[in-house]
Amino acid sequence: MTYVRKDVSTLTAGERRRFVDALLTLKRRGEYDEFVRLHIDFYTADGEHGLRTAHMAPSFLPWHRRFLLELERALRRVDASVTVPYWDWTRDRTTSSVPWTKDLLGGNGRRSDRQVMTGPFAYAAGHWTLREGVTDGRFLTRDLGRSAAPLRLPTRSELRWALDDPVYDAWPWDSTVRKGFRNKLEGWGTGSGSGSWKNHNRVHRWVGGAMLGGASVNDPVFWLHHAFVDLQWYRWQRAHRNHRYLPAEPPGSSDAQHHRVIARHEKLPPWDETPDQLEDVSRIYRYA
Amino acid sequence: MVVGMGGAGATAQRRAGAEAAGPSRRETARGLLASATALALAPLVAASRPAPPAEDPGRSSFDESYRGRRIRGIPVPAAGHEEGGIEWRITVDGRPLHLMRRADGTWLSMIDHYTSYRTPLEATRAAVDEIGPGQRLRDLAPHPFGGHSGAGTGEQAHQGGRHDVRA
Repeated sequence: MTYVRKDVSTLTAGERRRFVDALLTLKRRGEYDEFVRLHIDFYTADGEHGLRTAHMAPSFLPWHRRFLLELERALRRVDASVTVPYWDWTRDRTTSSVPWTKDLLGGNGRRSDRQVMTGPFAYAAGHWTLREGVTDGRFLTRDLGRSAAPLRLPTRSELRWALDDPVYDAWPWDSTVRKGFRNKLEGWGTGSGSGSWKNHNRVHRWVGGAMLGGASVNDPVFWLHHAFVDLQWYRWQRAHRNHRYLPAEPPGSSDAQHHRVIARHEKLPPWDETPDQLEDVSRIYRYA
Repeated sequence: MVVGMGGAGATAQRRAGAEAAGPSRRETARGLLASATALALAPLVAASRPAPPAEDPGRSSFDESYRGRRIRGIPVPAAGHEEGGIEWRITVDGRPLHLMRRADGTWLSMIDHYTSYRTPLEATRAAVDEIGPGQRLRDLAPHPFGGHSGAGTGEQAHQGGRHDVRA
């Protein structure tokens, strides 16, 4: 039976509480930190050797889809009514809107050290001590909107720019490709200024703190953000029904991307599923 | 969680034999170009990037105080890699900072993972900008020189060698 992933702004008080409680249960059991670690371990950049699965690669979308499913299964073992909600950052755009409320993810970090002080994930609440972090800080940090040099969340038109590209991805299948839905959504631009971060990357930058680093999963907004990114893949598929995940076949031995990206029918580490198998999730969940 | 954590092993499991379909001729030509030696490719790559500052900071070591933290970076020859390859040994207050390289030649750090910078120095300063007061780096990622300082607490042993940094 399929379940529904909802816009976080539409959750009832009870749904919010059950989602938060299930996260805290996974954290208490030590399961949550395995998700943090896995995301760190699978970040391979494209200027280095080796297979890229989670970022700077066509499998950015199926990898995170599978990663969310894994978290969601864990949450639903705790409470079968829970699904991962999505944060529509084209609509809920301020530091006080959802999901930054006390009954959900809590608010911004304080000025002095960016420590989140409100909500269930505040260190002082006693349930959310960081153990797999880039620094030795034990508390969750945020810098919503980047106080030192403010930037805005991606706009609806920026998202539209990605969705309107009918081609899923293109050679060289990395962070430098300028066309294709995948990188326009993942958001690697050129140069180093503010305009170089698009869509997905820009949201990580906007939230800041833990979300900016390799251990971004430490902030539960990671899941709400990636559920919304996953929804865009779903929308893109419906808008371009003749187009599919690319590359369809692995790059050949003379190609610089040989053995560096996952083709449509190759297994996507660390799982036993392929992008082909992950393209259609209609029997598992749908978006409201 | 029921996922396998054996990233390096899983990475090695590649499906072979799908090359029959082959890339298009254009892709093949680009692939051949890209697989030329780093030496021959260097001028092309350089020309396609923003003009670098004059002293080529991409290869200059640094040792400075930045926002109250000691940052050091030393490029060292990369053992066993292509000619001219270098690796970076970066520390912030003595703790290793892991950098990754993008295909366009820019750099990103474990602290600031969704933005890249022109040089290792810029990436290191940007990381310092994001490290909170009183906090220190945890040696989370494998260091390119094989060391895992174990400075953190409770981390699992990490499969090394997946995140080699080279220039």
